[in-house]
Amino acid sequence: MVDIANILNENLIQLNMQARTKEEAIQELTECLYKEGYVSNPTVFIQDVYLRESEGKTGLGQHIAIPHGKSDAVQVTSIAFGRTENKLAWETPDDEPVQVVILFAVRNADTATLHLKLLAQVAMALADDDTLARLLVTKDKSEVIRLLSQRM
Amino acid sequence: MKIVGITACVAGIAHTYIAREKLIKAAEKAGHAIHLETQGTIGTEYELTGEQIAEADLVVLAVDIKIKGKERFAGKKMIEVPTEVAIHSSNALLKKLEEIAKK
Repeated sequence: MVDIANILNENLIQLNMQARTKEEAIQELTECLYKEGYVSNPTVFIQDVYLRESEGKTGLGQHIAIPHGKSDAVQVTSIAFGRTENKLAWETPDDEPVQVVILFAVRNADTATLHLKLLAQVAMALADDDTLARLLVTKDKSEVIRLLSQRM
Repeated sequence: MKIVGITACVAGIAHTYIAREKLIKAAEKAGHAIHLETQGTIGTEYELTGEQIAEADLVVLAVDIKIKGKERFAGKKMIEVPTEVAIHSSNALLKKLEEIAKK
């Protein structure tokens, strides 16, 4: 079944993150993935997220960032969505701070799997400026899911 | 104008696909036909056909890594940029492609 429920559910969406920094945001979202059983070792996973951060910007512009970690500490390839009122300093192409963080957790063993295709479809949805604008303001978790799954 | 190209990023998870979508939107807005192949973690998708490449006026590579099959574009006008440029400045990139095609 091609369904975003394979990689995202409402427990993985935080519309009021407390995070004041990039580090805290990644930590907070990793905790969500850990609680759901999708990440087995938060410390190892976060190290792998930073490995990717070191390879290039994960800020997309328009206050959105998509950090991602491919890691042995990931049990299920999935995503966590977080938004905060705080303006997070982040490496972005438009030099604007980030308020929406979409953390992609990718299982190391995954190659041509359904989950990775779903992640690619979420990425495609993020190419739409109207979608990004809605993600910044919606108060409804089900709308987040709908917006991110519009290309499926 | 007929454009073909490839998108590919370091992790092959997200930017590859965002770049493809952004370029397609920008090309369609400007009235050009475009076909883009992705080379990501899931392998090659939307693979370009020989006919698409033969008919193309121009090749755009939005890539952060070494890609496979570049030799398919031998003799074509080509521009190579990082995926970030395709994602953040897709309309400006299209203008540049139009200029290169005229030369």
